Amino acid sequence: MKNKEPEHKSAPLLFQMLVYAAILFASQLISETMPKNFPVPTPVIGLVLLYVLLTTHVIKLEWVDSFGSALISLISFMFVPSGISIAANLDIMKAQGVQLVLVILLSTIILLVVTAYTTRALLWLKKKLTSVKLGSVSNDVKTGDGK
Amino acid sequence: MAYISNPLFGVFLSLLVFLIGKWLFKKSHGLFIFQPLFVAMVLGIAILVVLGKFFDVSTAQVYAKAYKPGGDIIFWFITPATIAFAVPLYKRNDVVKKNWVIILLSLIIGTFISLILITLVSKAVGLDEVGIRSMLSQSATTAIAMPLTTSIGGNASITAMACILNAVVIYALGKQMVKWFRLDSDPMGTGLGLGAAGHTIGSAFGLELGSVQGAMAAVAVVATGLVDNLLVPVFAHMLGL
Repeated sequence: MKNKEPEHKSAPLLFQMLVYAAILFASQLISETMPKNFPVPTPVIGLVLLYVLLTTHVIKLEWVDSFGSALISLISFMFVPSGISIAANLDIMKAQGVQLVLVILLSTIILLVVTAYTTRALLWLKKKLTSVKLGSVSNDVKTGDGK
Repeated sequence: MAYISNPLFGVFLSLLVFLIGKWLFKKSHGLFIFQPLFVAMVLGIAILVVLGKFFDVSTAQVYAKAYKPGGDIIFWFITPATIAFAVPLYKRNDVVKKNWVIILLSLIIGTFISLILITLVSKAVGLDEVGIRSMLSQSATTAIAMPLTTSIGGNASITAMACILNAVVIYALGKQMVKWFRLDSDPMGTGLGLGAAGHTIGSAFGLELGSVQGAMAAVAVVATGLVDNLLVPVFAHMLGL
């Protein structure tokens, strides 16, 4: 791959928008063909599709880079309507809102920490396994410290 | 009411409350309670409640008639913005190619352990059965989580609320949590965790921490959704909830 040689030139804005629009359109069509019991929404398909097209060099990085960064930089603002949409469900919140918010808060921490520590454990395990392999060659695995 | 039943009102209100949030966040030198998204959500809902009292209609009606038309315009951009995460992911293709087995295993094992813990917490707090079922698929992105919840007999709007609050919590408390749980030593795990817990917002937050964290969070947003699609129905059945 010969990226990076033209130091970050980007395609014209409207052309970048065209690329995103095309991917959006294709993803929506694909999303509609997914079975009902295994829904895969448009953004997920689009992310995979754009990633595959970038990896296979069908789409060049400069066609999507700067407009993509602009979109990503605004993403917390884009979630404001989702946050305010809770106004439509205030009755659920009145009924068991405190418990729900508590469980959601704890669940967020659980998901973050459990996933992160699982990765850490697997990375450690991998290191250990490779060091055991190396160790058995040199015939000395007493301490077994992966580092 | 007629004056504000125009998409421009929703767009204006969203910008206003978010910018007030940004201003408060800056003035308070980054106090987490003043995270712009959180401020925007609370302030926006409060304004809709007040408007409802003023026009003598329910808050849900004010939301649907006055806010949603404009809100939907902004909401629409989440789809292209989510797709755009393919770019930071592609930029760290080296990490993905080297570690894809660990990435997938982490998300499958992590999701399974999280499901058990979330069920236990829900029971401990005293949620009813529908409530517990609605909590299971929250690590998936909203568009996957909602139909999934319906299929296992939960309330989809509770799940949607959970997905939104996940993002708000990660955005507001992410920095603190990374510190408390000493996650900064391991960028891969941190990124995967942020994507699973905070979805698209988690990915944006991951990018702020570093390119590996951002790329891993983007992977997690996609893969966790698919893992949940397979795992959550089996889990709900196994528990016989």
